[in-house]
Amino acid sequence: MSAISPGTPGTPGTPLIRIDSLVKQYTRDTQVLTVLDNLSLTVDEGDFMALMGPSGSGKTTLLNLIAGIDRPTSGRIVVGEKEVSSMSEAALAKWRSANIGFIFQLYNLVPVLTAFENVELPLLLTNLNRARRRKQAELALSVVGLTDRMDHYPRQLSGGQEQRVAIARAIATDPKLLVADEPTGDLDSRNGEEILVLMERLNSEFKKTIVMVTHDPKAASRAHRLVHLDKGVLKEDVKAERGKAVGMAAAISVSST
Amino acid sequence: MKFLPFVFKNLFRKKTRSLLTLGSILLPFFVICLLGTFVAMLDADPSKGRGMFRIAVRHKVSFTNPLPASHLEKIRQLPGVKAAMPFNWFGGRYVDFSAFHVFQRFAIDPVVFFDIFDASAIAEGSAEAWRSDRSGLLVGELLIRKYGWRLGQQITLVGDIWPGVYAFTIRAVYRGNDEASVFFDQKVIDEALPARAGRYTMIWVKAVDAAATRDLIPRINVLFENSSSPVRAETEKEFQNNYVALLGNVKLFFRSLTAVLAAVVLLIAANTMAMATRERVTELAVLRAIGFPRGTIFGLLLGESALLAIFGAAAGLALYLLLFPKLRAVVLYSPLAGLASGLRVYPDVLAAAFLLTVLVGILAGLVPAIRSVRRPIADGLRSVA
Repeated sequence: MSAISPGTPGTPGTPLIRIDSLVKQYTRDTQVLTVLDNLSLTVDEGDFMALMGPSGSGKTTLLNLIAGIDRPTSGRIVVGEKEVSSMSEAALAKWRSANIGFIFQLYNLVPVLTAFENVELPLLLTNLNRARRRKQAELALSVVGLTDRMDHYPRQLSGGQEQRVAIARAIATDPKLLVADEPTGDLDSRNGEEILVLMERLNSEFKKTIVMVTHDPKAASRAHRLVHLDKGVLKEDVKAERGKAVGMAAAISVSST
Repeated sequence: MKFLPFVFKNLFRKKTRSLLTLGSILLPFFVICLLGTFVAMLDADPSKGRGMFRIAVRHKVSFTNPLPASHLEKIRQLPGVKAAMPFNWFGGRYVDFSAFHVFQRFAIDPVVFFDIFDASAIAEGSAEAWRSDRSGLLVGELLIRKYGWRLGQQITLVGDIWPGVYAFTIRAVYRGNDEASVFFDQKVIDEALPARAGRYTMIWVKAVDAAATRDLIPRINVLFENSSSPVRAETEKEFQNNYVALLGNVKLFFRSLTAVLAAVVLLIAANTMAMATRERVTELAVLRAIGFPRGTIFGLLLGESALLAIFGAAAGLALYLLLFPKLRAVVLYSPLAGLASGLRVYPDVLAAAFLLTVLVGILAGLVPAIRSVRRPIADGLRSVA
């Protein structure tokens, strides 16, 4: 595990995530519900991709499958060199701890732990000694600008600060890939903006590949690529340049409703 | 070990609930210790397995049927007998019939008393002074402390089974297994009530060794089989067990109660753990999402449950040790004073109770922990949204 530091740009066009003919179905009684239907997609290293679409379109399911916390019904998902769709539960847990950073809508911090202890949590799974863990957690908190709030409990922080602590937890092990599920969904516009700026920075400065599920066109406009899902099918996949993305995201958002 | 602070913090995340649960474990643990102590007291073997080579001889029908003095003489003649003496339950009263003044009084033969009850020793005064004074009284050390008696003090007992007023002088104090009795010379009541002289509640026999003990029991039983007073001879241990059995199967009752209390601890701890995991479904899913393996989550939850039981048991143990001297004093000042000398802290009983509580605590965490790690992560995360 490396220390968190400004990264070197990934080779343009080098795929980090390869999804091939992905199908996810749920069975409710005798009814089979297809959530993702023969989806194929590639995400390059250093991409900042927004997944958009109406509720029930399969965005979060796709995010969970990429992150290895759910299993596809059929198809392949390869992240880096690993085919996550075929890994064992134990191997997946180990892989996730080193390669994936999670950012949730409701932050999901452990309420009995301080900001520092929350960030240290994923580091407890590494071989780092106490001093190294402390250094790494402090570094992660400094990236999100919360070194002065290390000893505060989640209840003593604002929503925006909680989400920043959650982001620090996500980057503590310096994973390549960050998966974010509606990271600004529970925040007001000012705090949401701060989080988006931070995520942009993690992408541009720290070279994190980000896959973000969002309904918010403003959040999506920060991404370089907009993927629109509808009823489990890839409807649109647009690479956007800064400035043009806002309009495109708004258009996708309108078409999603 | 690096997860221990995390386990601690989780354990006390709902302080009121945790403290109430600790209390719910502490109290059953306390009672388990108490019951275990009583069972251990009943099972206690002062000879530590060597055997005291003592035989109790009583009438085959009942204690209330006395044995004649001729039985004592015949038993003394048997090979393998080291000593034998009469043992009469005096009853009577000291001061009044209040519970505070109840203790055991026996008429015996002072000449051989210490040959038969050789685990007892003189703590104050002398055996010789007691033997040489017909109205001399040998008193247990606990009674000396309880009543504040001293050597040379006159004690008056009023007889009921053996009517009359008997004045005794304390000549010696003994220390031994039962320190809550008084002993005086059988001749005192023989002379006071000559018509009833030579009648004994029972006879105590000391054999020379274990083989002689085994050999003497059937011989004594056979010897008086066809007499007007057939006897039942048995080892001291059998005698005590039969005596306790008069109260019913006390040990089984106590053990059943212990099992019920262990089940109570199990249900309380299991309920707490079930609540603790149910309200943390999302949190546990997040931990697994960020890479915590199932085994680690399982260990964390079981650790919480075990710590809860350990804290509860430790608090219960502290309370027990704190209150034990008071409890012993209560027994000492009650009609059960005879039990007080055998009532002590049995470390093996406390260790077993502690272990039982911790095991039950771990068991209580098992089902919630298994259910938590088997729930799909995606389902756990969804339960928030």
